[in-house]
Amino acid sequence: MSTKTPAAPAKAPTAKHSQKEPRLPNPSSKKLFRTVEPYIWIAPSIILMAIFIVTPIFKVFQLSMSKVTRAGQLKGFNNFENFTKVLKSPAFSLVLKNTIVWTIAVVIISTVLGFILALILNNKFHGRKIARAIVVFPWATTLVIQASVWNFIINKDYGTLNTLLMKFGLISAPVNWTPNPTAYFAWEIACGIFVTIPFVTFCVLSGLQSIDSSYYEAATVDGAGYFQKLFNITLPLVKSSLTVSTVLNIIYVFNSFPIIWTMTKGDPANRTDTLVTYLYKLAFYNGKQGEASAVSVIGFIILLMCASVYMVYTLRKGDDDL
Amino acid sequence: MKKILATVLASAMVLALAACGGGGGGTSTPATSNPATSNPGASVPSTSGEKIPIKVIAAEYGQNTKQWWADFQSDFNGSHDNIDLTVETVSWNDIYTVVNARIANNDAPDILNIDVFADYQADDLLLPAKDFVSDETYAKMYPAFLEQSNIDGTVWAIPDLASARAMYYNKDILDAAGVEVPTTWDELKAACEKIKAYDSSIYPWGIDMTTDEGQAAFAYYIWNNGSDFTDASGNWILNDPKNVEAIEYAISLYKDGYTNTDPATETRYMLQDLFGAGKLAMVIGPNSIPTYIADNYAKAETPEEEQINYAFAAIPTNGSNPSVSAGVMDRFMCFDNGHSDEKLEAIKQFFDFFYEDERYSEWVLMEGFLPATSAGGEIVAASDPSMAPWVDIVGSCKFYPTAKAEWADVKQGVINVEQQALLGGNVQELLDNLQAEIAG
Repeated sequence: MSTKTPAAPAKAPTAKHSQKEPRLPNPSSKKLFRTVEPYIWIAPSIILMAIFIVTPIFKVFQLSMSKVTRAGQLKGFNNFENFTKVLKSPAFSLVLKNTIVWTIAVVIISTVLGFILALILNNKFHGRKIARAIVVFPWATTLVIQASVWNFIINKDYGTLNTLLMKFGLISAPVNWTPNPTAYFAWEIACGIFVTIPFVTFCVLSGLQSIDSSYYEAATVDGAGYFQKLFNITLPLVKSSLTVSTVLNIIYVFNSFPIIWTMTKGDPANRTDTLVTYLYKLAFYNGKQGEASAVSVIGFIILLMCASVYMVYTLRKGDDDL
Repeated sequence: MKKILATVLASAMVLALAACGGGGGGTSTPATSNPATSNPGASVPSTSGEKIPIKVIAAEYGQNTKQWWADFQSDFNGSHDNIDLTVETVSWNDIYTVVNARIANNDAPDILNIDVFADYQADDLLLPAKDFVSDETYAKMYPAFLEQSNIDGTVWAIPDLASARAMYYNKDILDAAGVEVPTTWDELKAACEKIKAYDSSIYPWGIDMTTDEGQAAFAYYIWNNGSDFTDASGNWILNDPKNVEAIEYAISLYKDGYTNTDPATETRYMLQDLFGAGKLAMVIGPNSIPTYIADNYAKAETPEEEQINYAFAAIPTNGSNPSVSAGVMDRFMCFDNGHSDEKLEAIKQFFDFFYEDERYSEWVLMEGFLPATSAGGEIVAASDPSMAPWVDIVGSCKFYPTAKAEWADVKQGVINVEQQALLGGNVQELLDNLQAEIAG
C-alpha cells in the first residue's frame, strides 16, 4: 500500500550505482546517487514491511470482501455481505462499546498513574535504580502469565486476595469478586492498566530527564510553587513524550488480546468481548473467517482515524515537537 | 499536502503496530509460523524417487502423542519399502489454522486426524471412506461411530478414538450429607439441597457453560430429557419444549445456588480441580478424570488423607428417561489430492497398519482414551479393568451432530443461549431466536 511507493524508484538504480560510487567522476552522477541513496538505505525495511505487514493486511482486506468457506477457501467477492452481517449482529454494538470503554479506561488511567509514577521516579532517592527496575517487571512479563496470575488472585475459591483478607480478619467468608460481567470487565481493565503503566512511565521519564534543571532553578528563584512548576514547566516539556505514549497505547490496548482471552474469553455472552477477541472467536470457533476479517478491517479503520488525528496534529506543529 | 502525508504516515503506523499487536489481523498470519510444531525431520523429502510419499497431519492429544507418531513413522517406513510416510503432529490450538492454510496453498495433507470433517466435505475436499480404507479395516469400526461421519449416505471419515462422559461424585461428601447417588433430576436437586445444608462451602454440582465446552452442558441436559439437537429426519429442533425445560432446569440449579460460582467462565478443568480438591461434590466429566486427578495429586505431592474418595455413575435424567452419556469422537479423513491407484493402495496400507489390534489399543491407551473398534475395545477392557465399564458406555453413547454443516453455528449459539440465560435471559425466547437463526 502507501508504504510501498518509495520502493519503486529505489529498486532499479540500486545495484548499478552503489557499486560505482567510489569512482564517480562527474557531478551529475554524484547528484543522482545522492538522490537515490536514502532509498537504498530504507529499501530493506520497505521490502520487509511489504512482505510481513502489507501482504497479510492486504489478505485480510481480501478475505473481508470475499465469501470464505469454513475450510478457508475463497469463493469470490460477496458484495460486502460480511460487513452487513457483522454490523447487523446484536453482539457487535456491545463488543464495540466494550472496546471503546476498555481502550479509554486503560489508556487514560494508566497514563495518569504512569505520569505520577514517573514524577516520583525522577526524584533522587535511595534505591531509585531498584525501584525503576521493579516498575519494568509488569511490562517484562508475558501478558498471558499476568492475566493468569490476576485470575488466580481474584478467584473466589482459592484466590490469594480472599486468603489474605481472611488472614487479616477483614472478611470471614470468601468474597466473590466477580459477581457479574461488569465486575469481571473491571478486573480485566485493572490488569490492563497494571501492565500498561510501565510503558507510560518510561516514556515520560525519558522526557523528564531531558528537561534542563536550570528551568526549575530559575522558577524557584522567581518563587514558583510545586504545582506551578509542574503545570508550566514539566507538563509542556513532556507533552510530546506523553502524546507518543498515548497514541501508541491506544493502538496497543485496542488490539490487546491476551488479557481478556485468558481471563474470560469474552464470556459471558460477549459481555467482556472486545473487537479482537470477538473476531478471534468468529474466525476460529465459528469458522466465519470472512466476517472476522470484516471486524478486523473495521478495527483498522477506527485506529486509522485515531492515528490520523495524531499525525495531522504533530505535522502541523512541525517535526521539532515529535 | 501535509494532510495527505499525515494520512499516509498514519496508515503506515497503524499497519505496523496492528501487525505487532498480535491477533489484529490474525486470520492469515499464524500459518507462517505454525508448521514449526511439525515433527523434526518429518519434512525431509525422500531421497529415493521411487517411494510413494504420504503426508499426515495429526492432532497432538497430549504429551505422548508426538513420540508415539515418531515411533509409528519409523516402524511403518521400516516395514514398507515403497512408501515414505511423514507425520506432523500439531497442537489443537493451531491445527485448524495450519490445515486451512495448507488447503489455501494447495498443499492439503493426504491424511488428516482431527475432530470435524463436515466443513472439508462441504468444500468437496474429501474422499469417501470406502476409497481409502480396506474393507477388512473398515469392518472393525463400531457402526454407530461410522454413522457419525455419514453425509447423504456416504461415510467420509473414520473414527480414531473416542471419549465418553459420566457423573463423578465424591463418596465421602455424599455419605456425610446422607445422600444416595442421584439418578433423576428431582433426586439431584434434593441431593444438592442436602449437601448445601451439610456444608455451605462445598459446591454440590458443577456446570461448565463456557466458550470452551458449553455445548456439552447443553447436550447433557437435553439428551437426558429425552430430546436432541435434531429430530429423527435431521431437522434442527433447538427450541423444542423439552429442550427449553432441560435448560431451564440447569439454570435453576445455578439460580438456587447449587453450582460453582460462575458457570460462564469456569471451565471443566477448573471444575475438575475443585472436584479433586474436595470442594465440589458432583460433576459430569470425561473418562480421563481419574488420570487427570492422579496426575495433579502426583505433581502436588498431595498426602493420601487429603485425596478424595470418588466414583462415577450414570448421568441423572428427568423422570424415567434413559440415561444418555455424551460421546466425543475424533476422526481420520483423506483429502482428494488426485491420488493415483498406487497411492490409494499405500494409504490403505497405512490404515491397515494403524488399526492392527495391538497397535491400535496402544494408541488408545497412550493418552487414556476409548477405542472406536470392537477388537480394540476388547483388548483395552482386558488390559485395564477400570476402562471396562467405559468401553460399554462408549458403545452406546450419543454424539454431537457434527456431520451437519450448521453445527459450528449451533455450538456457539447454544453456548450463547446458556450464558444469556445465566444472566437472566428467557430460555424460551433465546432458543426461539437461535432456532430461527439456524433453521432460517
